[in-house]
Amino acid sequence: MTDPSDKAREDFFSEAQEIIETLSRNLLALDEVHRQNGTDPSLINEAFRAVHTLKGLSSLFGATMIGALSHHLEDVLDDLRLGRIPLTDHILDVLFKAVEGFGRALAMERDSTQERTPSFIEGLVAQIRKVAAAPGPSVETSSEYDIEPGLLAVLTEYEEHRLRTNIQDGLKLFRLRVRFDLVTIDKGLEEIKERVKKIGEIITYLPTGETSSVDSIELDLLVASTRDLNSLSAELANVDLAIEEVPRRPRRSQTGQPEARPGKISLQPDVVAAGSIAPAQQVAGGLADLTGSLRSVSQTVRVDIRKLDHLMNIVGELAIVRSALARLADRLRGEGQRQSATDLLRLHRNFDRRLAEMQDGILEVRMVPLGQVFERLGRVVRQISRDLGKEIRLVITGAETEIDKLIVEELSDPLMHMIRNAIDHGIESAERRLTVGKPAMGTIALNAFQKGNHVMLEIEDDGRGIDGQAVLRRAVQLGKIGGEEAKDFTRADILGLIFLPGVSTREEANDVSGRGVGMDVVKTNISKLGGVIDVHSDDGIGTKMTITLPITLAIVSALLIRVADNTFAIPLASVSEAIGFDDAGLRVVDGREVMTLRGTTLPIARLERLLSLSRSTSPPRRQYAVVAALGARRLGLVVDQLVGQQDIIIKPLGKSLDEVRGFAGATELGDQHVGLVIDAAALIDEVLSTSDVGARAARLTYG
Amino acid sequence: MGEIVKLNSQRSLRRDPGERESIREFLAVMLAGQTYGVELTRIREILSPPPLTAVPRAPAHVKGVCSVRGQLITVIDLRSRLRLEQAPLTRKTRILLTENAGEVVGLYVDEVRHVLRLTEAEIELATGVFGNDVSEHVIGIGRPPGHVLVLLDLTSVVPR
Repeated sequence: MTDPSDKAREDFFSEAQEIIETLSRNLLALDEVHRQNGTDPSLINEAFRAVHTLKGLSSLFGATMIGALSHHLEDVLDDLRLGRIPLTDHILDVLFKAVEGFGRALAMERDSTQERTPSFIEGLVAQIRKVAAAPGPSVETSSEYDIEPGLLAVLTEYEEHRLRTNIQDGLKLFRLRVRFDLVTIDKGLEEIKERVKKIGEIITYLPTGETSSVDSIELDLLVASTRDLNSLSAELANVDLAIEEVPRRPRRSQTGQPEARPGKISLQPDVVAAGSIAPAQQVAGGLADLTGSLRSVSQTVRVDIRKLDHLMNIVGELAIVRSALARLADRLRGEGQRQSATDLLRLHRNFDRRLAEMQDGILEVRMVPLGQVFERLGRVVRQISRDLGKEIRLVITGAETEIDKLIVEELSDPLMHMIRNAIDHGIESAERRLTVGKPAMGTIALNAFQKGNHVMLEIEDDGRGIDGQAVLRRAVQLGKIGGEEAKDFTRADILGLIFLPGVSTREEANDVSGRGVGMDVVKTNISKLGGVIDVHSDDGIGTKMTITLPITLAIVSALLIRVADNTFAIPLASVSEAIGFDDAGLRVVDGREVMTLRGTTLPIARLERLLSLSRSTSPPRRQYAVVAALGARRLGLVVDQLVGQQDIIIKPLGKSLDEVRGFAGATELGDQHVGLVIDAAALIDEVLSTSDVGARAARLTYG
Repeated sequence: MGEIVKLNSQRSLRRDPGERESIREFLAVMLAGQTYGVELTRIREILSPPPLTAVPRAPAHVKGVCSVRGQLITVIDLRSRLRLEQAPLTRKTRILLTENAGEVVGLYVDEVRHVLRLTEAEIELATGVFGNDVSEHVIGIGRPPGHVLVLLDLTSVVPR
């Protein structure tokens, strides 16, 4: 089993990954705000904290690359949050590059492939250092404001900076005194923070030290707001707190001595006088420790997906026990033991129900929102659009749509590729867009939604659309189709060609999306996940790619069929219907058997021939055609018998069977028997593209 | 579930720490009337054959797949790998589970006999006596007193 230190390391990597994702999220939000010429100090501060944590963690685990990066990045973010340097486009670029760098460094540290610090890290560090402010004299603690030195003494540099900025911006200062129950302080404080955030900024909070009971604590919150006292009180009317405005007084000669003025706000004078107060952040930390003993802050655990697979295996074995129970009950009944049989059947039903719940529960745990991968794409869009000098708006809907963790992981590369294509090939330059009457800023929409047992993903751009003639020329040039043949191609046929290896929608290659190695790989990756990809493109209006994916890889509903004494499972996701079949309706077109189904032509493949099965008895007179459909492509698979529908767990075939095509894996059918699961996508590809690669396939498919 | 022989207990009984360096243990198995030896440390488990599912389009030496306690296992026919004639299964047929390149595979043998302990001196590294296609699967010949057995190289028997 795993070494405990391995586990700790593994935990470090997943935590680092999460931190980097948080950082990326913050930066994207910051970018958004920045583009509207605003700024959000709390976002910068959160980014700073994230990097700070990362720095601490990486030194703990000897991750030197990440350590070096975060060390320098922390400096820049510190400068930013303290207002030593202003936020610029350039700095944002560097920050985003650093996030990319973290991702790469993390992968390298994980594989321990690199002994030395690679040059890209050094390059990044150099860039980061360049933007950091030269260390100047620290800004003098201003004593212009009318706040006690006692308070000023405990402010962190950042808090002091925020205080100064707020005062310079003409905001009013308020003191909120709130009493919290020690048990619920985490929640209570969070609530207050949320509410205050809408109307101002919390600069700091400190315990008052005037607690009257042992299980409560009183905090003073120093808040800056544009509102006046009345408006603020009204806003917080239903919260149990006391508000006072910190009086602003005209600039005066300061003595450094707190003055005994009636009505003056005192923030913790006693403790300060005693000289024992810790900096505010440590006080806050102390509070967290205090409550941490009462209540764990986080309710989340991280689980290795393999552990879930293991649980799923156990569920599979329990399903076998379940069917054995049912058989036992039947036998008892046959032997006349009616009462026992009934009791056993009741137990069996109960067991069955619980097992189903357990299966659902495990599946639910595997589900993650697509937002995880969308965030990464947001970064890609930003980067590429800047590199190419195109303005792009990314509109995301359905980020909350959930899908199996494994699928999410496998999706990110294909999606990234498609987004790159959309920006590079799809969206025109701003000038060009304006001349054709489109807004200068291009739009890429990323939509996700659930549809039955599938998740649909759409990547849509409002660019120039795919140049069909260019695609066709390229396909002819590559010898994928004949020149004569090309004349009969419809628009849909042509669009199908972009999934052939080597065919690109653009003549010349560039850094961003390369030359023509793309959509065929995307398609292969998607079909490995049991998904389909379709393309729709209108000249001058835009392109839309639609991906249909199963929600989970772990369990699929399948149709069990028998042919030539073999039982196979075909995932229902790829079956559109099953119909009666006899030779009478067959025609031969182009040397291929086809039949007519509701007015359209359906290519036919006899499964026993396709898989070279040998048969001991002659085929039944009545056979069936299972219509496998992937996207717009259909194929009728002729089988002897339809056994029924069953939920199956697909297990991959061993490595020694890697070369065997046509099977997605195998599954246990009960009674210790294993059934092979048919990979309908592979068979469709195989049958429909045996010769003339694209041409025939495209004609049969899209024609 | 079929009969399962746990090998670890046997091995520990036979282990004699003083001799360990020079002794290698082989499991004597029968294939087409001839005795073969496979290194004991490579064998995880010996099973009675569970129902097997043939895999269409698979190479000829793949007998099929089966499930052992929820794990999917590819079963390889040693007779076919060693160019021996085919024969139907018998009561004595067993499957040896071995791990190769991270994959657990099953090997069909006609019969499992016993464990043999060979000193280095009793192992003759003579592979030249076999035809080319077989010799690559053979470590050598074991000649303990009263026996002659062909020692198989499990790493090469299982195709990659």
